Amino acid sequence: MDLAVHDLKQHRGRFVATVFGVGLLFTIVLAMNGLYRGNLQEGLALIKSANPDLWIVERGRGGPFNEQSTLPEHYRYSVQTTPGVAQANAFIYYSVERQIGGQSRHFSIIGYEAPDGLGGPRTMLAGRGLGAAHYEMVAHPKLGVRIGSQVSLGLHTYTVVGLTKESISPDGDPIVYLSLPDAQEVLYQRDNQEIHSARERLLRNLTAQGISGTQAERLLEPLRADTHTINAILVRLRTGADRTTVARGIEKWLYLSALGTDDEVELMLKGRLASMSKQLMLFRTLLLLISVVILSLVVYTFTMEKIRSIAVMKLIGAPNRVVVRLVMEQSLLLTVSAFAMGIVLIENTHQFFPRTLLLLPSDHMVTFGIALLGGVLASLLGLWQALTTEPAMALGGG
Amino acid sequence: MEILRIAGLAKTFGTGHLEVRALADIHLTVSTNELVALLGPSGSGKTTLLLSLSLILEPTSGTIVFDGQTIYNQGWAGVDMRRVRREKIGFIFQSHNLIPFLSAKQNVLFPLSLIGQTGAAAERRAMALLDYMEIADRADFLPAVLSGGEQQRVAIARALANNAKLILADEPTAALDTQRGRRVMALLKKIARENQSAVIVVTHDVRMIEGFDHVYHMNDGHLQPRQS
Repeated sequence: MDLAVHDLKQHRGRFVATVFGVGLLFTIVLAMNGLYRGNLQEGLALIKSANPDLWIVERGRGGPFNEQSTLPEHYRYSVQTTPGVAQANAFIYYSVERQIGGQSRHFSIIGYEAPDGLGGPRTMLAGRGLGAAHYEMVAHPKLGVRIGSQVSLGLHTYTVVGLTKESISPDGDPIVYLSLPDAQEVLYQRDNQEIHSARERLLRNLTAQGISGTQAERLLEPLRADTHTINAILVRLRTGADRTTVARGIEKWLYLSALGTDDEVELMLKGRLASMSKQLMLFRTLLLLISVVILSLVVYTFTMEKIRSIAVMKLIGAPNRVVVRLVMEQSLLLTVSAFAMGIVLIENTHQFFPRTLLLLPSDHMVTFGIALLGGVLASLLGLWQALTTEPAMALGGG
Repeated sequence: MEILRIAGLAKTFGTGHLEVRALADIHLTVSTNELVALLGPSGSGKTTLLLSLSLILEPTSGTIVFDGQTIYNQGWAGVDMRRVRREKIGFIFQSHNLIPFLSAKQNVLFPLSLIGQTGAAAERRAMALLDYMEIADRADFLPAVLSGGEQQRVAIARALANNAKLILADEPTAALDTQRGRRVMALLKKIARENQSAVIVVTHDVRMIEGFDHVYHMNDGHLQPRQS
């Protein structure tokens, strides 16, 4: 005789309300799982998508994604001539916020040496890669553009020639691919007033140092800020070349840092993604604890309401396993039902979350295991109360 | 046939100057088909004796032999008390104590499930018992929608489910009016006569003990046959 089910049938309303409440908590836990996985996937997507043999960055920096790295563009020629290097391409990456389609959009721009330079889009969802040297872009559909869309960035208008889904920035923003010079122009483009002010500022500084007006005018051009900078150089090695040897050579002779894709992944995992992962883990732990506490209280209340019945059961000879089954089955039924609701909810709503939720069956299984353990823990208080109930309570009035 | 024999049973609570003697040198023998009443005021030791007979409260000294098996002899005799209760004793309570989330029939089925009787045979027995208690038509109702008298009849059917050798009834009429109380007592007499059971009823209501085989009076922990 399934006492737990019979009892829950009498408390349908409370059962449903508890399942709904705890189910929502489990939904959030599962969303956190998905967010964590999505965060890792997005955080590493660009690194894995570009996947060069070496990332050459500013000395001592973990760039270009985990940390800022700035290099003069011409360094790529030095890297290209390093023994063992088959291909070396400049790479620039930064985030911007611009008006697209009448809406303010936050996205990241990658500048690469189109059309065949390393770091460009690898798999096209639609259209083609960059073919012309200027004014074309490949974008993620999340940006809200289509093939042929015209997008104004700074002084120029760019035509969307391709869509790619593989690239999301570590912040979850869509990526826009531009040719290297276009990306540099968008990055360093300033309006006329700003250019004029900077020029006046420089002139004032020069004349304050005792340089005559004419000489100062002549010095303006060479002293102007260099816009030919990049964030990294992506390297493809010659067949048979030893990556460590090439990396050591670049580090020794060019005074740069050379990292493998695995190093970049590790830097991201230990750096930029680490705090987010810890934060999500903390939230997940807290939410699971809250779920267990709520379940404990509900199971305890259910048990306390039945305490006289439990005393009667014990008096008429019910073994402890009958009582244990009654309490624990209710706890597990609540847990399983709430978890099932959580799964159904998250599987049907994850696409509406602003960040990517990567839901993995293995994560669901692990969380379910923890939830079941929580369900068992939640029943302990009620079990203790039930098992210590004296059968004598059934006798007498009341 | 002798079902229960108690000899020199005593129960003391506390020690020293706080010592309270709840039961003192109790002797009682009950046989099959006998109907026994225990009368007495509050605090006389009725409930303590009932708890000892229910194998819940350990006496301080004495002997309890139940259905030929020594249960207590200056200490519990190592028997599985819950097993004895579920297989050989039926309980009827003052406030019915039906399990509220089970229907009348399920309440009768529950003790049957404890002794391994399930399925169609158990269902038939449960319905037969409810029919015996003239309440078969309310089998699928929850206790909450049954009257006090109906609940008590279901409780009696539950107590009979395991073919109990001994039925212990704790103030079974206390929550009922006189008419319903008399009906319940008549049912208990019927059970004692028609089943191979002995019935011990604890009550404080002398109006309800008409026709009982033995009536004992408890006072200050002492049990004495009532002088008629």
